[in-house]
Amino acid sequence: MPHTVTTSQMDQILPKKFVLEAEEAQSIRQSQNLPSVLHLFPRLVQSAQSLARPPISNFSVGAVGLGSDGRVFIGVNLEFPGVPLHHSVHAEQFLLTNLAVHECPRLLYLAVSDAPCGHCRQFLQELRDGSSLGILVTSPVGGNLDKDPSFKPLSEILPNPFGPHDLLGKEIPLLLEPHDNGFSLLPKNAVYVDGNSSNLCNGYCELSAGNENSVKLSNGNREKNEKDGILLRKAALEAANNSHAPYSGCPSGVALIDSEGKVYRGSYLESAAYNPSLGPVQAALVAYVAGGGGGYESILAAVLVELEEAKVKQEDTARLILKAVSPRCEFTAYYCRPAKSGFKNRL
Amino acid sequence: MDQILSKNFVLEAQEAESIRQYLNLPSVLHLLPRLVQSAQSLARPPISKFHVGAVGLGSDGRVFIGVNLEFPGLPLHHTVHAEQFLLTNLAVHGCPQLLSFAVSDAPCGHCRQFLQELRNSSSLEILVMSHVQGNMENALSFKRLSEILTDPFGPHDLLSEETPLLLESHNNGLSLLPKNALSVDGSSTNLCNGNCELSVGNENSVKLSCGNWEKDQILLRKAALEAANNSHAPYSGCPSGVALMDSEGKVYRGSYLESAAYNPSLGPVQAALVAFLAGGGVGYTSIVAAVLVEKEEAKVKQEDTARLILKAVSPRCEFTVFYCRSAENGCKNSC
Repeated sequence: MPHTVTTSQMDQILPKKFVLEAEEAQSIRQSQNLPSVLHLFPRLVQSAQSLARPPISNFSVGAVGLGSDGRVFIGVNLEFPGVPLHHSVHAEQFLLTNLAVHECPRLLYLAVSDAPCGHCRQFLQELRDGSSLGILVTSPVGGNLDKDPSFKPLSEILPNPFGPHDLLGKEIPLLLEPHDNGFSLLPKNAVYVDGNSSNLCNGYCELSAGNENSVKLSNGNREKNEKDGILLRKAALEAANNSHAPYSGCPSGVALIDSEGKVYRGSYLESAAYNPSLGPVQAALVAYVAGGGGGYESILAAVLVELEEAKVKQEDTARLILKAVSPRCEFTAYYCRPAKSGFKNRL
Repeated sequence: MDQILSKNFVLEAQEAESIRQYLNLPSVLHLLPRLVQSAQSLARPPISKFHVGAVGLGSDGRVFIGVNLEFPGLPLHHTVHAEQFLLTNLAVHGCPQLLSFAVSDAPCGHCRQFLQELRNSSSLEILVMSHVQGNMENALSFKRLSEILTDPFGPHDLLSEETPLLLESHNNGLSLLPKNALSVDGSSTNLCNGNCELSVGNENSVKLSCGNWEKDQILLRKAALEAANNSHAPYSGCPSGVALMDSEGKVYRGSYLESAAYNPSLGPVQAALVAFLAGGGVGYTSIVAAVLVEKEEAKVKQEDTARLILKAVSPRCEFTVFYCRSAENGCKNSC
């Protein structure tokens, strides 16, 4: 297969985006005279690496995935100085979260710059038929650029896996499949703004004034602040309802708003092995980066929605991460409850 | 078998050998699977109620137990897996090498990754009980770690050969800052060198055993510093250690144990809790004081997280942080 394009030319062809629509991917394939979109993956991985944000290791990892709808998704690793390493987001986790954010129901193939670590091989088990997911490792750099890409099933690099099939019934939705946890916000909403609590009446929020460190939203207009607050709360609740947390029964969601008023949301994504679970703040940060967000300091406000008295609580940790990632970001937690009572593992 | 283990998380070499003889087993290796069920009963998984037990053989003939620990009220990434407990148990007891282990269930990918931190990890022998068929008297089918995590990512990708790996001797050469910034539950007090005059604990703190709070703090601080000096953190360059004291005045310490893959790293509080349980500790609420030692302005900071975990695990435990620095200047990633 003749390749006529250098890496730098490819960088110009490929938009610095985290999602390629199906038609886009096809037209790039055609312009390169390649037999399949998969043949683009080694170069896409290289491009993706330049979008990674690993200020601790400076080790950039890029991942590319083909969704069942023909879209191509990018994943990169994220590291957060100032907090423990378990908050890191691996490129494979970013990729899956990116598919979740964009509601792609299935991942067919995954290419990544380096062999996935065990943590990721475990996280990938959350996919339906995860063991048959085709994986291509593109390192060493340049080694695979001109070959037919050869994808190996995940089961070859994690035999005898532990996963959802060990714990859940077949009908329980897995990662990327539609979830609806059926939550609604508590009517007598306890609101915590940076540690101060205020009781609110139903409906219209009158949030206590932020502390000196918080940044006034957009133009400082109090009415806009309230509208933004409602938007964020709604988005975070939606994210909590989409959250994959079948093991703890404690789903959660986070919504972020940036200085341009754009809202991003991410859902907590749980792993059967517990520790590889991706926190809701991280999921929202993936949505932010994948959605074209710039520096983290542009994130002005964040809302978390989770169950009150959840056995697996995100609130304090979410506050910690956000303080490190965007110190002036205003953080609020809202509690929700299931529509029906007697929800398993709620308390 | 339950009586053999009782609350012990370590069997001395002679003990293991005499049990082997008593049971007429060909080798101590054959003892490992027989102890797994007992080990499972020592696990503390209040969230999943899924008990995992691991039993390992050290190079010095000692037998070590590992169990899983779960902590309600916190995110799941604070969970300790039985395999991580096992390795930490060896570290706490100064055992330099793990030869093989038996475990109740197949290790998850997170653990297969954490195990990569061992020297020659690919040849570590693992027996999964749920895969054992029929009679345990038959030849035991241990599998090598390399068979269940092929083409692994690990220390060999990032470190040079002479950098010490998990269980090997570490000495990070840390000492406490002379003008020690001290945070007691969030308040800071500047201290002069030597004899500490710490601010009085708040109403929630429990008075320590002998009532000599200053002496206890000095003990804890020394133990936490030692733990930080033993800490395996070659990737971030940010080692740390935690020391705990229980209501009987006993001190337990644990070192932060880092993973090349970052996320599977075991926090210093978890390591100290392993030491607590392995050392005979019973209820977490009997832990009355904790000290963390880490670098000031570390790129990878444990302080706030440690405070969070301890608040959930032992709400009345008094938590203090001391900062340290390397003896040499220019330690990689120090700031």
